[in-house]
Amino acid sequence: MPKQKNNFEKIDDTKNLKKILKNKKQKNYNKDEEIEKPKNARHTLKRLVLSIKDEYRRLLIVIISIIFYTALTIIAPLYSAKIIDILWSSINTAIQNGTTFSITWEQGGIDICILLEIYLVTTILYILQKFMMTSFSERLSLKFRKQISNKLNVLPLSYFDKHKPGEILSKATNDLDKMSETIQTGLLTLFTSIGTVIGSIIMMMYFNIMFSIIFILFMIVSMALTRVFTNKTLKSAANRQQKVENLTAQVEEAYSGRIIIKSFNQEEKSIKEMSEITNEVAKATRNADFIIYAINPAIRFINRLGQVVIAILAGKALIEGRLTVGGFQAFFIYMNQAAEPLTEASYMINSLQSALASVERIYEMLDEEEITPEPEQPEVVENAKGNVEFSHIRFGYSPDKMLMEDISFKVKQGQKVAIVGNTGAGKTTLINLLMRFYDINGGEILLDGKDTKKLTRANLRSNFGMVLQDTWLFEGTVAENIAYGKPDATRKEIIEAAKMARVDFFIRTMPKGYDTVLSDDTEGISVGQRQLLTIARVMLCNPSVLILDEATSSVDTRTEIEIGKAMQALMSNRTSFVIAHRLSTIVDADLILVMKNGTIIEQGNHRELLDKNGAYAELYNSQFA
Amino acid sequence: MKIIIKFIKPYKLLCFFTILFIIFDILGTLYIPTITANMINSGVGNKDINYIIQEGILMLVATIISSLGALVGSYLCSRLASNIGRDMRDALYKKSLKFSHFDFKQFGTGSMITRTLNDVNVIQQTAVSFIQMVIPVPIMCVSGIVMAFSIDKFMGFLLLGITIIIIISAVFITKKASIIFERLQRFLDKMNVVLRENITGVRVIRAFNKENHEKNRLKDSFQKYAESAIKANRLYAGLDSLAFFTINICIVAILYIGGNRVGAGAMEIGDITAVTEYAILILFYLIMAQMVLILMPRASICLKRIKEVLDTEPEIHDGNKKMAASNKDNKDVICFKNMTFRFADADEDTLYNLKFTCKRGQTTAIIGSTGSGKSTIAKLIMRFHDTTKGSILLNGQDLKSLSQKEIREHISYIPQTAWLFSGTIADNLRYGNEDATEGEMYHVLEVAQAGFVEELEDGLQTRVAQGGTNFSGGQKQRLAIARALIKKADMYIFDDSFSALDFKTDSNLRKALNKEIKDSAILIIAQRINTILNADQIIVLNDGKVVGIGKHDELMKNCTVYQEIAKSQMKGDIDNAKTEK
Repeated sequence: MPKQKNNFEKIDDTKNLKKILKNKKQKNYNKDEEIEKPKNARHTLKRLVLSIKDEYRRLLIVIISIIFYTALTIIAPLYSAKIIDILWSSINTAIQNGTTFSITWEQGGIDICILLEIYLVTTILYILQKFMMTSFSERLSLKFRKQISNKLNVLPLSYFDKHKPGEILSKATNDLDKMSETIQTGLLTLFTSIGTVIGSIIMMMYFNIMFSIIFILFMIVSMALTRVFTNKTLKSAANRQQKVENLTAQVEEAYSGRIIIKSFNQEEKSIKEMSEITNEVAKATRNADFIIYAINPAIRFINRLGQVVIAILAGKALIEGRLTVGGFQAFFIYMNQAAEPLTEASYMINSLQSALASVERIYEMLDEEEITPEPEQPEVVENAKGNVEFSHIRFGYSPDKMLMEDISFKVKQGQKVAIVGNTGAGKTTLINLLMRFYDINGGEILLDGKDTKKLTRANLRSNFGMVLQDTWLFEGTVAENIAYGKPDATRKEIIEAAKMARVDFFIRTMPKGYDTVLSDDTEGISVGQRQLLTIARVMLCNPSVLILDEATSSVDTRTEIEIGKAMQALMSNRTSFVIAHRLSTIVDADLILVMKNGTIIEQGNHRELLDKNGAYAELYNSQFA
Repeated sequence: MKIIIKFIKPYKLLCFFTILFIIFDILGTLYIPTITANMINSGVGNKDINYIIQEGILMLVATIISSLGALVGSYLCSRLASNIGRDMRDALYKKSLKFSHFDFKQFGTGSMITRTLNDVNVIQQTAVSFIQMVIPVPIMCVSGIVMAFSIDKFMGFLLLGITIIIIISAVFITKKASIIFERLQRFLDKMNVVLRENITGVRVIRAFNKENHEKNRLKDSFQKYAESAIKANRLYAGLDSLAFFTINICIVAILYIGGNRVGAGAMEIGDITAVTEYAILILFYLIMAQMVLILMPRASICLKRIKEVLDTEPEIHDGNKKMAASNKDNKDVICFKNMTFRFADADEDTLYNLKFTCKRGQTTAIIGSTGSGKSTIAKLIMRFHDTTKGSILLNGQDLKSLSQKEIREHISYIPQTAWLFSGTIADNLRYGNEDATEGEMYHVLEVAQAGFVEELEDGLQTRVAQGGTNFSGGQKQRLAIARALIKKADMYIFDDSFSALDFKTDSNLRKALNKEIKDSAILIIAQRINTILNADQIIVLNDGKVVGIGKHDELMKNCTVYQEIAKSQMKGDIDNAKTEK
């Protein structure tokens, strides 16, 4: 009567393995695992199902495969029990006849062959669904990622102001990976589990109702235990997360402030503080890890307890002839087939919920309001002359709070316009509006007499060259970074631009010169040097209108003047807008706009404004006291 | 590997017990199928209910032992791993504080944070998995095969054969996996980089009309990641399927061969169950170990990165001399003697042949363009770097002969970027002087022009956020100055500390400083001529060389670099600009 436990233990163990793996992966995401529940699960689910329309056929195959797979999993034990019965009776007969028995085609061989075939088909189905789901889930993530990348280009800048980069980043990476992971393992397990549990319990009932009830009672205990453990896991994981966050803060602070720690001889104190926190993390991690790893043995213990009880009762029934040998084995197999998926269910529901919450977050982002559409029949400005007019501009970053009420000024072709004022006065805002990074709430901005709203953004921006306050470099060589706005630039042009920006020498001192690979967080390049690189970038583009937003704020005054000279040569007869906090760089401007709280409080050239003896004069004198 | 042994060493006993309990778990687990076999063999043969009950109880005992072993084992294992993690973090941090500025820069702040947090975490998690899933494998394999041999040698050989086949294919898969996972990680990093660039650079991208270019870059990175992820997942699925397949084949093989052996009278019918069970357990443990081993290359990279930090020899060594008592009032607080400095990885001297002295009661100023080496001077005085040639004397004694602690007791330093620690303002001030009274604190705050603290609702007890982000740049700078002033020192170094202040505050602060600091030397590193106009001596640096030294008026006459700097900052500039245009 052997062979009962094998089959189910197999299931038992492979499932365990999957669960442990899953636990391991879950750990990485534990942070949001606990509290996370989708706000509107049904709606999100519906939308998700609709969005995978083109995969329906594939999913259908998977579902059919699952149905057959489950059916075979339920038939196999019944069949293998039959084989054992055949073998056992043949062996018994042989022993009674005093001969030995060996398996022949007729005696057992054919049955073993059929069992082998059942197993082979099961395996093939298993492999089929596994592999189909693998590529399905990744293709789905890819689809979402592509949608996100499209969305990124049409989101208004206000979205980026409101959301931290890490937050957006985690949607495109963590959230989608979580979804993919759940679809791959979770969904498949869930489907097969449901089938197996129902099938097995029906078969068990068929063999013996009383034992089935005992089994179900033990299952309820072990499910309750799982529940308790799940709650504990969540709590301890949350606790660990909290402690890890403390540690992260402490470590970041300590490394960033290490010069101070050392300068003030505070090393010992700092080490002590650090080790207190690392110790707390160790404690929290220990508890969290223990609980996660204790679940399996604990549940296995309950299950085995149930098995022992039923084994004794079933043994008794066997002896009393109330149960056949085959029935005994088959019952055990089904018992185990049903036990595992049941305890897994609560896990599965958790991870499905949190995956759905992830998907919901992605939908939220995809549903964000987009920038206003481009005009249907846009006007075109090529190689603008550079006449710019702001006329009665009203604007606020949020519609209920206006920053600018009524701004008007005119810039003629070739003029240098300087914008000065304190932080928060609205200097950069003016540039943002000119570039149409934000849409104005009233009035109009004209470029060469044409309303900028009637141009496409691309056409409008192609007339401007802009150097921003925050220098942005991407992962690529120095040359690629400089040629960002003009990818077909020759090396000679690139070097020329770098020379004008006074950064050629610095580039040459880098390990690979112009072919040195940079990234946004490259260390060893100062802010000033970054600014020079971005200036070179714009110089190469040779735009009609130049915009410099604190472009040289971190460059020393001597270099700044040298760049200023190069820039003047480049910009002669072109319009330029300059925001600067060092007034020395803008005293020669044709028009100076002095801003305060979103309005222009003075405008004129340097002499006129000094003679006025107003805000500008005050600012100027404060800088050159 | 050495390094992990080093960290395990203190926990030998813990290690021993962890493994002991894991062995309990394995032996208990292996004993259960043996009992089942016995139950079947005797129970069916003799039809004895008592025997079945007896075996049932035995099974219960084995279950309890195995579960207990597993529970205690996982507790000890978590304990061991978390202790190792903690010790690694402590060791890393301790080491980092021994690093010079240059040593630390070799790793970078971001990388050091990653090493301390993520890398240790990966190692800790891998350690847990390793202990729980890899260590039991050899024990399981050996005892399983031995038990199979004790039943029947055919069964023994069958199990041995299957084990060897699985191990060989595991080696093959691990090799392939490490390539796939390495690539996956690379594409994941790339995807993160490109995405982050797209988010942080959104203005530049739009300004240059590069939306489509960036979209393609993004799609490209997504595509590559997806392809790579599919490959990795297929590998997992393949492994999973392989396990499934082997187990099924194994069951059929045992059934066939075992059936014949039972028929031949070599073993009993129940033993088929036992052997099948052993086979499944061995396979199960092997596959689990495989899943862990796939992740090992990642852990070993992390380990290597930690080892790098721990193995780095700090470039600066403490001297063993004490500051002589007679030197404490030396008039020349700091003296540069033909000092030349070059970074270890550079081809050029950063500072060349510096000669100057900072005297007690005097203000020395250093001015020069970005990259002229100004800040390096301050770091050399603090001994964050060591001189390459020549020497620096503190109160007449060579810095290299003193301990870093001693040097820093005599000098108070305000670095370029003001950094405040989270806590209260008072906490931050106590950094400079642990026993400072509230009165002293308010006094230095006043000197540092940080009177705004008094107006704050909570005064000195106001919370400071991490990095001091709840204060403006100027406020932070003034608090940092106050923190340095509360420390009594022979020299105060202001490394570009005034640049975040407006002109008026700058000038008030300097006036107050002059009144406050009478017996100490002051070193001001500055970009603005205004800040240093009244210094007792001004040192003009250009490309690491001193090109002028003297008072403002003298330098205006005979130092061209100084003249140029001054010109670029003076009012008269407008006329120059106009004429040149």
